[in-house]
Formats: sequence, C-alpha cells, structure tokens
Amino acid sequence: MVILSILAMTALVFLSRYLFLEPKLPLKLNPQAQRLLSYSSPAVLTAIWAPIVFMPEKELWIAPNNPYLIGAIIAALIAWKTKNVLMTTIVSMLIFLCLKLL
Amino acid sequence: MIPLSIAVIPWGLLAGSFAIEAGLTSWESQALSAILFAGSAQLVATGMLKAGASLATMLLATFFITSRHLLYSVSMRSKISPLPLKWRLALGFLLTDELFAICGQQSDKQFDRWYALGAGLSFYLCWNLATLVGIVAGSYIPAMNELGLEFAVAATFIAIVIPNIKSSPVLISVLVALVLSVLSSHLGIESGLMIASVGGMVAGYLAESLKGAK
Repeated sequence: MVILSILAMTALVFLSRYLFLEPKLPLKLNPQAQRLLSYSSPAVLTAIWAPIVFMPEKELWIAPNNPYLIGAIIAALIAWKTKNVLMTTIVSMLIFLCLKLL
Repeated sequence: MIPLSIAVIPWGLLAGSFAIEAGLTSWESQALSAILFAGSAQLVATGMLKAGASLATMLLATFFITSRHLLYSVSMRSKISPLPLKWRLALGFLLTDELFAICGQQSDKQFDRWYALGAGLSFYLCWNLATLVGIVAGSYIPAMNELGLEFAVAATFIAIVIPNIKSSPVLISVLVALVLSVLSSHLGIESGLMIASVGGMVAGYLAESLKGAK
C-alpha cells in the first residue's frame, strides 16, 4: 500500500515536471509570457525560503532570537557582498547551527 | 552546482530520518527518495502516511506542492522541448527546485544539456546518499528533525536570489512573493506557494511594464 501510494505520487510529480517539456503539446509562448516567466525563478525560490525563515515554528516570528531570521540576514549580506553561493551556504549554515544549538 | 549538492544533504538526512520515524520500512523510505525524488512532497507524503491519510488526500496535497513544477517546466520549455525524447524524460525527472535554481535564469544559449544532466544527477546522488544516512542515523538519533536542517535550503536559495536582484522589478517581484508566501502560510492556505509565486511574477511583470511606459 505504501509503495502504491509512492508510485501514484511519483506519477503526479513527474507529470507536472514533464508536461510543458513535451513538444507535441500545442503551446506557443509570446514575448509577454516569456517576460512574465523571467520572474519565475526569483519569485518561486523566495516563496519557498520566506516561510522557512519567517515562520519556522508555523507562526510569524520576527525577533532577534529567531535563528532562522538571523541566519537568513547573514546569508543575504554575504550573498550580496561576495555573490558566492557556496561560501554563503556554508558560513550561514554554521552560524545558524551555533545560534540554534546554543 | 556544488553548493546546491551540499544544501540537499541536510534535507536528505531529514527526509530519511523522518520516514523511519513515521514508521516506514528502510526500503520504503529509500524508495521515496529514489522514485519520487521531491523534497517537500516527500516530507508531506511521509507525514500523511504516518497519519494514515487516504490516497486521494495524499494526491491532492501532492498536487498543491508539486504544482510549482508546472512553472518550472513551462519556463524550461524553450530549452528542453527541442531535445530528443530520452533527454526530455531524463531532464524532466531531474527537474527539481535545485536544478531550476541553476538553469531557470540561463538564456537558451547558455543552457547546456550536459551540464544540466550532470547537475541533476549530482543532486540525485547526494539526495539519495543523504537519505540513506538519514535512515541509518534516524534509528539512533530520534530528534534529528528538530535540528532545523531545512535552513540549508533557505540559505542556498537566498544566495541565488539576492545577487540576481539587479533591477527594481525583480526586487518588487521578490518582495511580493515574500509577503504573499508568509501571509498564506500564516493563514494555512495549502496552495500558498503557487499564489505567492504567481503573485510575485505578475508584480515583477507589471513593474517592468510601468517602468517601460515612463
């Protein structure tokens, strides 16, 4: 039963990833649509990280003792200054773990 | 792609240990990562399997979470749809948040199918190895899901988004997505991720149009 559920969910997830990659699907993207889609990367990624940072315990938590928020601010500063994704991830993760575990 | 491969490790650990904690067997836990290969959908599916939810409920929840992949696939259409079937299937299967984070902002010219395949496979490998470690460790360390491992993904996405805010429309798009996602999450709206994503895209588009009209 568990495996069956996993397979059913897999089919759904794969379909949503593959659907628009299929050339037989009749869909022409005009320049307006392409412009709209150029914002998909920043918008979707932000919609994923923002709730993790601002409400890690499922409630809005904007305070200096929220390690997710402090870690995110540090990550944003490092990313802005260095543009180095690897360094940003490692340094902010270490600072976050220190804040979280202390 | 190295930073993203590192960022999937904590998530993989979490997915593996959480699946064991939810009472799945080691095989089932690994199968989630090997077949489904979708971080957030896996965590939600695991939670629902634990709670004994019906298959229909699980599929509906999966649909809400996975609907953002429709955006990824439509954004990648001009790059991937001209490729042969085996490439489309492989890159389609590997089209995760992380792969889209890397390839989503590339132009059609910059896009390199081999690079995308290499990145996708390296995420797949790291994700599954980390899941395996999580399955083993989860049997010994019960409170692993309280470590806050999901911060790794947030940090990586911040590191990708921030340097790409090079114009006011992108900034507006990010701010609108941020506020909408936190708001819908606060209100418990299941499709909040899609609402926030589309809202952010439309806001950026409108801001760009207004700017151009001036």
